[in-house]
Amino acid sequence: MDFTISEELGSVQQLAQQILADFTGVDQLGIIEQQQERIDGKLWHALAEAGLLGLDIEESMGGTDMGFYSLAMLCEEVGRTVAPVPVIPVLVSTAGTLRRFASPAQKEQWLPGIANGSSLLSAALEEYNNDDPAKPACSATAMEGGYAISGTKICVSSAGSAKRILLSATTGDELVVALVDPLAAGVTLTPQVVTSGETCHELQLENVQVPGDDIIATGGKALEAMEWAHQATRTALCAMAVGVCDKMMRITGQYTSEREQFGRAIATFQAVSHRVADCYIDVECLRLVTQQAASRLDQGRPAREAVAIAKIWCGDVTHRVSQASQHCHGGTGVDRDYPLHRFCLLARQIELSAGSSALLTAQLGQDICAAYT
Amino acid sequence: MNIELTTEQKALQLEVREYMKTIMTPELLQEMKIPEYKEGGGPEFRKQYARMGADGWIGLSWSKELGGREMTHVEQYIFTDEVVRSGFAYPFLTTEAVTPVIAANANDKVRDEVVGGVRDGKVVIAIGYSEPNAGTDLASLTTKAERDGDDWIINGQKMWTSLANFADYVWLAARTDPDASKKHKGLTMFLVPTTLEGFSHTPVHTLGVRTNATYFSDIRLPDKYRVGEINGGWKLITGQLNIERLSLFTHGQVDSLYQGVCEWAAATPSPAGGKLIEQSWVQHNLARVKSGLEVVKLICWKQAWSMDQGALDMADASVAKVYGSEFFVELYRLLLEVMGQAGAIATDSPGAVLKGKLEFRWRVGSILTFGGGANEVQRDIIAMAGLWMPRTR
Ligand SMILES: Cc1cc2nc3c(=O)[nH]c(=O)nc-3n(C[C@H](O)[C@H](O)[C@H](O)COP(=O)(O)OP(=O)(O)OC[C@H]3O[C@@H](n4cnc5c(N)ncnc54)[C@H](O)[C@@H]3O)c2cc1C
Repeated sequence: MDFTISEELGSVQQLAQQILADFTGVDQLGIIEQQQERIDGKLWHALAEAGLLGLDIEESMGGTDMGFYSLAMLCEEVGRTVAPVPVIPVLVSTAGTLRRFASPAQKEQWLPGIANGSSLLSAALEEYNNDDPAKPACSATAMEGGYAISGTKICVSSAGSAKRILLSATTGDELVVALVDPLAAGVTLTPQVVTSGETCHELQLENVQVPGDDIIATGGKALEAMEWAHQATRTALCAMAVGVCDKMMRITGQYTSEREQFGRAIATFQAVSHRVADCYIDVECLRLVTQQAASRLDQGRPAREAVAIAKIWCGDVTHRVSQASQHCHGGTGVDRDYPLHRFCLLARQIELSAGSSALLTAQLGQDICAAYT
Repeated sequence: MNIELTTEQKALQLEVREYMKTIMTPELLQEMKIPEYKEGGGPEFRKQYARMGADGWIGLSWSKELGGREMTHVEQYIFTDEVVRSGFAYPFLTTEAVTPVIAANANDKVRDEVVGGVRDGKVVIAIGYSEPNAGTDLASLTTKAERDGDDWIINGQKMWTSLANFADYVWLAARTDPDASKKHKGLTMFLVPTTLEGFSHTPVHTLGVRTNATYFSDIRLPDKYRVGEINGGWKLITGQLNIERLSLFTHGQVDSLYQGVCEWAAATPSPAGGKLIEQSWVQHNLARVKSGLEVVKLICWKQAWSMDQGALDMADASVAKVYGSEFFVELYRLLLEVMGQAGAIATDSPGAVLKGKLEFRWRVGSILTFGGGANEVQRDIIAMAGLWMPRTR
């Protein structure tokens, strides 16, 4: 048993912190928020230059191959700085899945571009009332040289600049995982503004023809790919939540230590300081379950239960820490001129993405039942 | 980052688990049904405790010089976890918290007598800190020790002195400087043999366990039983409380309860048809328990691991204390809810589930939220040490 962050990983974290700090000043964040698409291209480029986009991509594909754990650490740092970069959809859900399940030719085609920042690929894992990409309502029909896909995916990040979008569809009782070109005939992208402030898209597919070259997997392998993508995405969201919540709580600790009412710092009221201390406990709990899930995925070990538990904590902790932070700030906490609000918005977004605490608690309960009967 | 026990650690876990089965003899289980002996102290308890000593299982973390095995904290935690799981009334505070402090600070003769006795499983030490008017604010205690030649004369009353009804010594905090402005600086530690004239105790029955009020009336105690410097007791108390906090929570025992309830719910029919565990509300409670328990496991491992790396972060230690104590109470409730009315049936009554263990655990649940440093004080520590917030008032 070893909780050590290796020296190698420590330097990755430091590097990420330095770069992210340079690009996430309040003014810079404000400028990016005015853009149509909430991606800071310069920051993305800087991360690519530093080798941070290829943390979980093989060296032969232009990556640095430091493993999934290092990628989860990058997500945490992005959360801590609310940096407008699509690390989870591009690097975790898409590149991570391609790395593990695509053919050598497909990897050759897409991974080097992701690692060097020249091309963006995103993923569409969720549908209306369904966060499970292994059980999509979207359907696929085999056709000459590929599949035709129909259905609707929602809240797709970075769809506007993505060259391909990774998604799954059902054919009979089998699964197909494909890369869809957003410019292909039959694709309609409708903007969906979401809580985090990002403009995502509803992705409608009407008999979209996907050539065989863009079919990543079918059958059992496709199922495995989507289970991996689901678990990895959830875990990355948890890691990002650790960064978001840790920072929110620290901002709140500092604010309450300075803000005075009744002639004293409000942090000297036990009711206030204990609410922040409770955030500290929550963040530590979330950190531990997230580390467990990420290290299991990193080592390629079964992670279903560990991931479910982490995401349950993630939903509860993002909610509690965000509300406590807003409350202890008073009006300042909801003022858009004060930095806290971005963290609160992102926290809510993460909470509702890829499965809520209530849903996952129910699923974990079913798993427990199955294990004992 | 690899959050799994190693093969050697798993082997140790299994070894202790098997060994403890031989300690929990049918005679001991019978003896523990007698209220007076529930927390230990009966002849069979004494016999098995001494056997653990003879077999070399006491003081694993101590230095070789003291007869220990210098085990790592992780190994020590694995041992503790399994012993608690077994249900044996092992006196952890004696072996893990107080004895190392005595070994480091006592006069040679007393050190040999007490440390040797503990190592052999022959000595149990009760902790005499709390008083009727000194609880969380421990430094305000008033039991006094006055110098008289080579001896000390001790007078006062302690409260909640657990195990004092059968312990061999009381590890006593007494005031040796009555100047009130030196609240923390006027305390000295003593070991008081319970055989001395002037010592007495009366039982205090709590919701779950028996503890004691203890009385010290003109006890004449030779100076060799003083531990550490005169008026230097506070450092010894706080050092010990930090270690104590680590043995308050373990994962194995509650995990066994959780598994027991899962098995029970899988075997018990539901009035709605099928088994109880198929009901969504039951699954919900079990899943909440499982997600919380996972953190108990990780926090315990992380603490032990951190201690092996050097220092345990002060805020982290308090996080563990607050989380553990509050989650345990929540866990008891969630599991008792699954049992419904049957959850209220006590040990040895017909229909008791899991031998009434959960009914009993709930009875002792709240002790940990105010004992071992009240959770409010722990939260104060977290805010100050973890977040650099100002002291509350
Ligand atoms: C079964 C049992 C066994 C025990 N065994 C031992 C033993 O072996 N040896 C021993 O010395 N003691 C023992 N104790 C005593 C235990 O350590 C005390 O109960 C504990 O220190 C709390 O003190 P108190 O009960 O006087 O409560 P109080 O100190 O009166 O505290 C009551 C409540 O007041 C509040 N409070 C107190 N201080 C603060 C603060 N600074 N900020 C905010 N709120 C505060 C908290 O809510 C706290 O829970 C035992 C107790 C029990 C019940």
